[in-house]
Amino acid sequence: MTRTPKTPASGKGGIQRRQFMMGAGVAAGAAALGMPRLARAADRVEISFASAKFQGTETIGNVVDTFNESQSKIFVKYIELPPPSSSTEVHQALVQQLARKNGSPDVFTQDVIWIAEFAAAGWALPLDEYFGGVKSQFFDGTIDACTYDGKLTALPWGIDSGMMFYRKDLLDEIGAKVPTTWAEMTEQAMKLQADKKVKFGFLWQGKQAEVLVCDAVSVLASNNAAILAADGRSSTLATDKAVEAIQFLHDTINKYKISPADVLSWDEEPSRAPFTGGEAAFLRNWSYVYVLAQDEKSSKVPGKVGVAPLPHFDGGKSAGCLGGYQYGINANTKQREAAVEFLTWMASPETQLRFALKMGIAPTRPAVFDDATLGKEQPFMQSLKTVFTGATPRPKTPKYPQVSLAAQSGISRALVTGKVKEELEAAAKKIDAIVSKA
Amino acid sequence: MTARSLPAAALAGPPRGAGWSMPRLAPFLFLLPIAVALGSVSLYPILNGLWLSFTNTSLVTQEHDFIGLENYAQLLGDDLFWNAWRHTVYFTVVSTLAETALGLVMALLLVERFAGRSIVRAAMLVPWAMPTVVTSKMFGWLFDGQYGVVNWALRESGLIAENINWYGSIDHAMTTIIIADVWKTAPFMALLLMAGLQTIPKSLIEAARMDGAGPVATFVHVRLPLLMSTLLIAGMFRALDAFRVFDLVYVLTGGGPADATETLSTLSYKTLFSALQFGYGSAMATAMFITEALIALGFGFFIMRKMRAPR
Repeated sequence: MTRTPKTPASGKGGIQRRQFMMGAGVAAGAAALGMPRLARAADRVEISFASAKFQGTETIGNVVDTFNESQSKIFVKYIELPPPSSSTEVHQALVQQLARKNGSPDVFTQDVIWIAEFAAAGWALPLDEYFGGVKSQFFDGTIDACTYDGKLTALPWGIDSGMMFYRKDLLDEIGAKVPTTWAEMTEQAMKLQADKKVKFGFLWQGKQAEVLVCDAVSVLASNNAAILAADGRSSTLATDKAVEAIQFLHDTINKYKISPADVLSWDEEPSRAPFTGGEAAFLRNWSYVYVLAQDEKSSKVPGKVGVAPLPHFDGGKSAGCLGGYQYGINANTKQREAAVEFLTWMASPETQLRFALKMGIAPTRPAVFDDATLGKEQPFMQSLKTVFTGATPRPKTPKYPQVSLAAQSGISRALVTGKVKEELEAAAKKIDAIVSKA
Repeated sequence: MTARSLPAAALAGPPRGAGWSMPRLAPFLFLLPIAVALGSVSLYPILNGLWLSFTNTSLVTQEHDFIGLENYAQLLGDDLFWNAWRHTVYFTVVSTLAETALGLVMALLLVERFAGRSIVRAAMLVPWAMPTVVTSKMFGWLFDGQYGVVNWALRESGLIAENINWYGSIDHAMTTIIIADVWKTAPFMALLLMAGLQTIPKSLIEAARMDGAGPVATFVHVRLPLLMSTLLIAGMFRALDAFRVFDLVYVLTGGGPADATETLSTLSYKTLFSALQFGYGSAMATAMFITEALIALGFGFFIMRKMRAPR
């Protein structure tokens, strides 16, 4: 059941609301007062929507207001959670609410890595019945991340992924093309370093933290390897392909010397600073770096930075680690119809475009990237379509937090000690013990 | 004047239990607010944590069953836990000793009279008054492997040929965190020890001087013995505090690289609040509690002996 979503008509909301109030026969006095709260007439279904706080020139609250004003059946109450940077707190807040199983919040947004956990706990309503038909309109990677145990339990909202930033000017100088394989990138990075054009060839993030898992997933998947087997019941971190991929990360520091050993303690920002300072040729990072790189005041490389999908191994394909927030419906909601209608509107191309333009949240529908307004106002976001097409989710398991901690420890050990195979075997054993209990 | 001495009056008044007359009840009533406060914010969480450690409570799997000592059995075989335990004990011993030594030197200097002493005393406390997260970020930049001023200074002075990777190598990460902690907390030790030094009667020091004792002999034979109980108490405070080190590690290294700086606080935080394993995490917290109790007991033993010893 895909309903045609009502286009958010900004500016006309007030008129629509007044029309509704007269039509619904609400007390004339209330209409004269014109108080928005009074629009919550008794015959409107009320649902709650909890989301991490995103902000731009508009807030999520503004978008929810538009929905409330655009129709007369549903009233959505918006509950603001901490921003995504306080991921642990957002997760806790959602888990505590959902575990009560009282149907509140009816609709919520979640980080991609929690989808399996919420689905396995029975907190997320399977959405195939309502959104199965429109699945093909979203990026494959996001639909994959939103699917657990064969069921669609989340709906894509915003996407980000790991990507490669490179110095256009330097590649031109040595007459090189944008690298598509790790070998090409290594060769170019070594040359630029040898020519003293840059201090560092390639920067990435090796701090023992979630970002290490993201970097690892990117190299693993680009060599057809993964942390977990497809069924999520065992670890494949010690396979030859996986060892080869992690060995490459180790080699960037110790063999090719295109990365400083400091990357082992760097997360996003410490690795970003040398790049925008003009000292590095290649950088793996998220989309936020672009804006900082173009900033005339703080960046030494405005206009010289290009973005491309991350390289891959021979026989593999590029695989940026998928990030972003997705929608979910509480399995215990008492207002299923209303929740579905609200989500249909929120996930519509029109609303996605508004999120992109006003809050910088990249759409999960490839079609929205082709919009002319987006091209005019956010040309960089538009150029990321190819990058997002190859985005790969992190391991899907309800025990993700534990698996992630074990993977962080094991991969960090492998990178620091250089005993890649041994350490990955030990980590795989630990991860096996965690997921086999599930 | 009391109800007890006047049974007739008691009969006339509202009936009261024999032992619960107002004067007897009063002390307990006065104690009630603090008992409720301590009970609800201290005793209850401790007991509840202890109870959780015997269960498999996890918000993720929604289990909440009593499993006896299973968590503790798992803990004994968990090399991540022992790894963190060793790091925590190492951090505690080294940082407490360094801070006590440095604090003592600072205290001995600041107890002497010199021009501008009060300004120096106030300035000394700045590191301690600073939020630890700020200290962490600051040391993050100071010891940054590529852009840090420490590497620059060492390189310029010819002490090192190549940049040291302070936080990214297993050999240096813990040392760097200890340096940051010493910088931050030595002033606190100095403050406590200075208070102790000021309680030593001047007459004793003057008498020692008259007998021809130099500054070193005065310190070893007069000041140090008299300062011993203060030293032990300050050391205990510091050790118990150092054992819970969290913010420095969390901000600077996140426990890495290769778990080389993982401490019990960061590990139990990850287990409790990232993995939401409340049962297992509580067992870890209890193990921490037991180790801390042992440390306190050790110090307590020496402190009691010191205090009881005849002077």
